[in-house]
Amino acid sequence: MSGTSRAQLCFLLLSVTALRGHARFLDIQQDNEISPEGLLSLLSSELKRELPEEFVYRRALRCLDMVAVEGQFTFTAERPQLNCAVFFIGEPSDIISVEYDSVNIDCRGGDFIKVFDGWVMKGEKFPSTQDHPLPLYKRYSDYCDTGVTRPIVRSSQNVAMLFFRLHQSGSSFTVTFRKLINPFPCNVVSQTPEGSFTMIIPQQHRNCSFSIIYPVEIQIGELNLGQHNDLKRSILGCAGSGDFVELLGGNGMDTSKMYPMADLCYSFNGPAQMKVGCDNTVVRMVSSGKFINRVSFQYRLLGHQELQQMKGNSIEDVCLRA
Amino acid sequence: MKLNFLVTTVALLVAFPPPYECRAIEGSSNQPATDPDGERQSPPVLARLGEEYFIRLGNRNQNYLRSPADSFPETSQYSKRALQLQLTQRLLEGKVGNIGRLDGNYALRALDSVERERRSEEPPISLDLTFHLLREVLEMARAEQMAQQAHSNRKMMEIFGK
Repeated sequence: MSGTSRAQLCFLLLSVTALRGHARFLDIQQDNEISPEGLLSLLSSELKRELPEEFVYRRALRCLDMVAVEGQFTFTAERPQLNCAVFFIGEPSDIISVEYDSVNIDCRGGDFIKVFDGWVMKGEKFPSTQDHPLPLYKRYSDYCDTGVTRPIVRSSQNVAMLFFRLHQSGSSFTVTFRKLINPFPCNVVSQTPEGSFTMIIPQQHRNCSFSIIYPVEIQIGELNLGQHNDLKRSILGCAGSGDFVELLGGNGMDTSKMYPMADLCYSFNGPAQMKVGCDNTVVRMVSSGKFINRVSFQYRLLGHQELQQMKGNSIEDVCLRA
Repeated sequence: MKLNFLVTTVALLVAFPPPYECRAIEGSSNQPATDPDGERQSPPVLARLGEEYFIRLGNRNQNYLRSPADSFPETSQYSKRALQLQLTQRLLEGKVGNIGRLDGNYALRALDSVERERRSEEPPISLDLTFHLLREVLEMARAEQMAQQAHSNRKMMEIFGK
């Protein structure tokens, strides 16, 4: 083989390998030695994150509860508990994993434990049916149906819920809650009333929502919608545009039932801010899939006085906006 | 020579296509019937715990559910945050609660295969909770997370300190 053809072949092989895009890393333990398990993990498609027993956080679960920390949670029914729900929430770049460790319930007697992929409140779901990849019935995962064969349930975003009903006192169950990394978070519920976030949709035909369950002032720092800046399109409004960002406000969880406060369909730099006096404020990005879309924003909680001022200034109460 | 190179490139690209992420297919046809079945006017299961807290299982019957403000006129007394937090904590300990009557559709029944299919078609389980209460439990969860983070940081400092 001649030198140039060998070089060309090597370059070709390098390009093809790079295109595959897989990455691996080794967890180096004590003394900088690479263990056999570490080497084996290179070959496995899933990297396991197992903590030693003594470091696992444990506590009892309550009938109404919210869990934001990884660990093992046990619920024991001291008396019949017919309507219980536990919310799980992680960081924006996490997805939730719920694993059944030990379950002692009476499925035939009407007990159930269900994991819901998202949050649901007053019949309204987050993410909405339009923004979630799965149909509604697939978002409920019933232990009595599939829990034994499929003991680990994963969410599609940083929130999940557990609903359970136990008729007999003494019934109990234990679940392990873990957070896994999600490199391109799409639907997010913010844990805090203040913070910042950059949402990126990399050439995917999907809609993503960032929900803040507080009245906040949103400041959009940078918006990058694709590569074309079509001013003509912006004059006509965002209705015909396949890529845009909308600011929603409402008093429920479902983004499809919220009021549009503003919409942006052209890229810009420099802050644009808006106060939204609703119980739930959402930044939602609609993406056609043709471009890589990115929006960066910050948000801060509106004070009581600001809300009062907005109430005084506003004629209509579509929540409140300023 | 160049032709050979080209042919090899094409062959390898065909054999090892670059991975593209599957695109989520959006469509209204995918949505199952989420609207409540008009015939099944099942009254919801109510559990009053503290202020403005219901858990509802079954159909969302608009006529039956009243807004929390109407149902509990005494909530205006609970505007102080300390009292609200106390109620939340009591609620979480399960000391307050009157469980309403059970909906007939959710009565105890044997789970055979027919029932399993029917379960998947049943209206989704939901929780009636105010945003106020949701924020309260969220803040408690964050406090727990920060305490746990501080604890594990302390443990790590102890390990590294040795």
